[in-house]
Amino acid sequence: MLNIQNLKLSFGEKEVLKGVDLNVNKGDVVTFIGPSGTGKTTILKCINYLVEPHEGQMQIGDINIDFKNINKKETLKLRRNTAMVFQQFNLFKNKTVLENVMDAQIAVQKKSKKEAYDKSIDLLGKVGLLDKEKDYPSKLSGGQQQRVSIARALAVEPDIILFDEPTSSLDPELVDEVLKVIERVAKTGVTILLVTHEMDFARKISNKVVFMEKGKVVEEGPPQQIFENSQNERTKKFLRKFYAKTNEMVEAK
Amino acid sequence: MNIEILWQDFLGILPVVPQTIALAVIIFLLSILIGTVMALIQEYNVPILIQIVVLFKLFLRGTPLIVFIFIMYYSLPGIVNFFTNLLSLSYNANNISPMIILIVAVSLTVSSFQAETIRGSFLSVSHGQIEAARSLGYTPFQAFTRIITPQALVEALPEFGSAFLVVMKAISLGFMITVVDIFAQARLIASSNSYYIEAFVVAALMYWGIAVIVVKLTNKFESRLLSRS
Repeated sequence: MLNIQNLKLSFGEKEVLKGVDLNVNKGDVVTFIGPSGTGKTTILKCINYLVEPHEGQMQIGDINIDFKNINKKETLKLRRNTAMVFQQFNLFKNKTVLENVMDAQIAVQKKSKKEAYDKSIDLLGKVGLLDKEKDYPSKLSGGQQQRVSIARALAVEPDIILFDEPTSSLDPELVDEVLKVIERVAKTGVTILLVTHEMDFARKISNKVVFMEKGKVVEEGPPQQIFENSQNERTKKFLRKFYAKTNEMVEAK
Repeated sequence: MNIEILWQDFLGILPVVPQTIALAVIIFLLSILIGTVMALIQEYNVPILIQIVVLFKLFLRGTPLIVFIFIMYYSLPGIVNFFTNLLSLSYNANNISPMIILIVAVSLTVSSFQAETIRGSFLSVSHGQIEAARSLGYTPFQAFTRIITPQALVEALPEFGSAFLVVMKAISLGFMITVVDIFAQARLIASSNSYYIEAFVVAALMYWGIAVIVVKLTNKFESRLLSRS
C-alpha cells in the first residue's frame, strides 16, 4: 500500500536521506529505530510532504507521486490520506479538545457538524478523554495532549498514521498511557509508521523494524530478526549500546 | 476656570464626538486591512511588491504625519484625476473632501506601524500548529483563517487598542485641512468666546474618557480570549 523508491533529500551540503526504499503492506506496523539525526523523522515528514524531498517516487494506495514534479493537488491528496502525530503534540491552541478533533473533519472532509461531533466523541472515549472535551490544550498534561492529537489524527480516517517520536517529550510517568493508546490503535488494523526510542514497545507492537543510520536503511525485518538475530554489525552495536545505557539507568535507580 | 463655560463648551463639543469616533474607527479598520496586506506581502516574500512595501514603510514611518497630510492634500486630487482621466471617467477630484484626504493620509501612516504588529502576531503562532494543519490536509487558506488568525488576533489585541488611540489623537491634525473633530471644535469655540483653557480642558477630558472606554473594552475582550487558550 505504501512504496517508496530512492528517496533523497539534502539540506544544503548535508545529505539527510541518501536514497531510501521502503515497502509497507496494509495493516503493517513499521518502526524506525536508529541513532538521532539519521533521518527517521525526516522520512515520515516526506511522506506527507511537510519536508520536500529532491528526488524519489512514492505510491500510496492509488496515488502516484514523483517528488521531482509534485503539484499542489497531489500534495493535498497525499496529506488527506495520511495523518501525523507529532513529538510536540501541536494541538491547535485556540480550540478545545473536542474542536481539535472535529475541525479537520469539517474543514477538510466537509462532514456535517453532527457527524463530526459523533465521531469525535466516540474517539475521545477511546483515548479516555471524554471528560476533557471542553478544555483547552493548555489545561492538559503532555500525555493527555498527545492522546488528543492521536484522536485528531484518527478522526480523518487516514490510510496511514505517522507517529513521530510520540513519547519523547513526555515525562516518564506519562509515557505508558500514550503507548497503550497507540497499541490499541495498532490493533484496529490501520497502517502505522512509528519513530521511537522505546525499544521494548517497538519490539512488542511492530511486525517490521527498520534500522537506519546516516540517512540510509541498514537493515529491516521482523522484530525477532532485528532484536535477537541480527547479523548486521551496526545494528548489533547500536542495540548493545542502547541496552547498556538502559541497564546503567536501572542500576542507578 | 469658569464652570458654566466648561458646561457650555462641553455641550458645544459633544456633537462632533460621534463623528470623531466614526472617523477613528474607519481609519483604524483601514489601517488594519492595509497593514495585513503589507504583512502578508512581506511574509510570503512577493517579488516586486515587497520592495515597494519596504520602501513605503520606510517613507511613512520617517515622515511626520502633518507633512504627509499636506502632501496628500495638495497631490491626491491630481493623482485621482490622473487615473480618472486614464479610465476616461467624468469625476472631478478637485473638490474631493478634506475628510477623505485625512482618511487616506492617516490610514496609510498608521498601517505602516500596524504591519509590524500584525507580522509579529502571525509569527507568534507556533510553526508546529501550522505543520499539524498541513498534515491533516488543510489548504493554506483554511489554516490561515481557522488556526493562525484567531491566535494572532489575541496577540495583537493590546497593540490594536493603543493604535486606535493613536489614530484618535492623530485626527486632530485634520484641523490643518479643515476637518473638524474634538480638538478643532474646541479651538473654534475658544476663539469665539476667548475662554481657551476651558475649551481645551473639556477636549482633553473627552479624549481621556474615550481612552478609558477603549482600554476597558480591549482588556475585557483580551481576557475573554485568553481564558480560551
